[in-house]
Amino acid sequence: MQYKSQAVAKPYFIAAIGLFVGQILFGLIIGLQYVVGDFLFPEIPFNVGRMVHTNLLIVWLLFGFMGAAYYMVPEESERELVAPWLAHLMFWIFLVAGALTVLGYLMVPYAKLAELTQNTVLPTMGREFLEQPTITKIGIVIVALAFLFNVGLTVLMGRKTVVNLVLLLGLLGLAVFFLFSFYNPDNLVLDKYYWWWVVHLWVEGVWELILGSILAFVLIKTTGVDREVIEKWLYVIIAMTLITGIIGTGHHYYWIGTPEYWQWWGSIFSAMEPIPFFMMTVFAFNMVNRRRRNHPNKAAMLWALGTAVMAFLGAGVWGFLHTLAPVNYYTHGTQITAAHGHMAFYGAYVMINLTIISYAMPLLRGRKAANSERSQVLEMWSFWLMTVAMVFITLFLTGAGVLQVWLQRYTATPQPFMAVQDQIALFYWLREIAGVVFLAGLVTYIASFFVGSKEPEAAAEGASATA
Amino acid sequence: MKATTAQTCWVRPCTRIWLLLMALSYVTYLVGVSAIEGLWAALLVLGFAVLKGQLIGDFYMGLRWVRGPWRWVIVLWLVIPGALITTAFLLAARGSG
Amino acid sequence: MTYALASAVAPRRYPPGDLAIWIFILAELSVFAAFFAAYAFGRLGQVELFNAYQQTLDRRSALINTLALITGSYFVVRATAAIREDDSRGCFDWLLAALGMGTLFVVLKSAEYAHHLGEGIHLGTNRFYMFYLSLTFFHFMHVLMGMVILAAVALKARRGGYSAAEHTGVETGGAYWHMVDLVWLILFPLVYVMR
Repeated sequence: MQYKSQAVAKPYFIAAIGLFVGQILFGLIIGLQYVVGDFLFPEIPFNVGRMVHTNLLIVWLLFGFMGAAYYMVPEESERELVAPWLAHLMFWIFLVAGALTVLGYLMVPYAKLAELTQNTVLPTMGREFLEQPTITKIGIVIVALAFLFNVGLTVLMGRKTVVNLVLLLGLLGLAVFFLFSFYNPDNLVLDKYYWWWVVHLWVEGVWELILGSILAFVLIKTTGVDREVIEKWLYVIIAMTLITGIIGTGHHYYWIGTPEYWQWWGSIFSAMEPIPFFMMTVFAFNMVNRRRRNHPNKAAMLWALGTAVMAFLGAGVWGFLHTLAPVNYYTHGTQITAAHGHMAFYGAYVMINLTIISYAMPLLRGRKAANSERSQVLEMWSFWLMTVAMVFITLFLTGAGVLQVWLQRYTATPQPFMAVQDQIALFYWLREIAGVVFLAGLVTYIASFFVGSKEPEAAAEGASATA
Repeated sequence: MKATTAQTCWVRPCTRIWLLLMALSYVTYLVGVSAIEGLWAALLVLGFAVLKGQLIGDFYMGLRWVRGPWRWVIVLWLVIPGALITTAFLLAARGSG
Repeated sequence: MTYALASAVAPRRYPPGDLAIWIFILAELSVFAAFFAAYAFGRLGQVELFNAYQQTLDRRSALINTLALITGSYFVVRATAAIREDDSRGCFDWLLAALGMGTLFVVLKSAEYAHHLGEGIHLGTNRFYMFYLSLTFFHFMHVLMGMVILAAVALKARRGGYSAAEHTGVETGGAYWHMVDLVWLILFPLVYVMR
């Protein structure tokens, strides 16, 4: 660890993992509720469980991004963070606000929560993923502003690398687009139109900039390939992201009441959205192939390569499968969507967070470069368990989705929703089993922080291994 | 114009190519404003477009002197969409014919 | 055409200009190709409508625009030839001329749009106009981008920033401009003429 203030990243990473566990536990709960409908009813109704599952995901990913930025920016700018105390303060504010919000979801009926938090003053509740009370949203804006101030000023006062600037641009975009969650039109078409300015322009826009810059950073550190080469790739990748993703927003405007031309614009531009992910995969493997050193942190390199591949499959391929308007006409809002959503979020954003944590945590905990052999082996096991489990979750949900589309929409005699749900139940059971394996992978992952933590560091390949 | 070196020896050919491009474009225009009907006219005009594109790619963008995969990028970009467009127009003609 | 002279130019593995611009070029070309194909197949259901409304387009302006872009590309080639002979001033002059052609395109295209919009035509009027407006508008944006790039290259050339030994910037900017021309060379016959 080159700069003392990088240490502020550690609590962020720990909180991220903790919330990740919460997310998965709730995922298992609602996954079971698909097939055992009254499981934990009325204590945790499905809609509440789902809110907790999705909100925890987003919050832990945000904690991860912030930790990543606090780690990367001092090193890239070649100076200490401007205000480490502020980072610590914001950590606790964000964590407490998040915890209170989740508790609010669980303990109080949603309408009551809205009343308690004075939603009527500025109504922003009631939209998917944006269920947070308005006061929580305001809290998020404050935390984001403080965060941007901190890392932004550090970059401005230090070395401005491409990695830094792309990361900052992505984070700035994240904050700016979040503001649209405060815009809540009465008109349902407009409501949905602008909702995607948060969601799509996040995950298929500025979050990809964050992903690209973190990946570039880790590759620079672990492969030793020339910074110029990696940064040029990064430019091209983010350019492709923006070219395809901005108008690609139109693939959410097919059926919500917007004009018909969106079916054409959305299809054409979003069909190209896999390209940056394909480039990331070629980029990652190319850099590793051309590496000038054998970095001892094999786990981090595995996560980096895995991120590129899974992001391409989940976001790129599975996204493409249902992005064209004529296809989407039948698949919209089905388990096909869920399949894509899970693999995309995991492949791109969960994995890039685990990548940077894998790279940085050993250093934050006092290692020179990497964890012990034993820790890394366990961590790599967790990689495979979680990733393969997610592949199966996705395959099972795809199966469920195909059957659902066929029975409920495509045949000459479509069946009602619930009748079809009964018939795809087997896929839900299989998905749940895969989910349990995923949890096993997550437990293994956490264990890797403790097992082997007293053993000596893994040496680089070719060097003699210490006993 | 002044004498050219070996590296710029292709300037004069490029002037000829410019004139050819202009001519083909004018013929395309004439087909457009005339009363000529028929699929053959549309495909002829498309053919001109592909030819013009090839000239630009080869001589103006310099791909003529490139070895390896990059040589073919413009060719592919002309041929594949060109084939798709041809297919679509064939289908359209058959449908209404 | 004297190809013997052409062979005097040494073959290379990569096209002239920065490789990054070529990746962009491929990306942009792909989007336009998809759009062209969408136009051709989107036309299938409404051939009569497409043929009818195609007649309302100003083909003469489109021809002049085509000639302008082709000539602009020619000027860019002359500019590249000039800098290859260390003629910075010549390079600048030719690029300025190319920008002139670009300006002509922008003016004519804007007049076309003004006419259509004045008649109340918009993206929702019908499928033909949706494609016509979308395709030409996206292309128009790229013409503007191309002009910005050429202007930047021209200014640097005027300041003596390029030489016979090092003029990658000129080739890079030139490649982008040629792409803009290339797209129009398909767009013009496809949308204005083919029926």
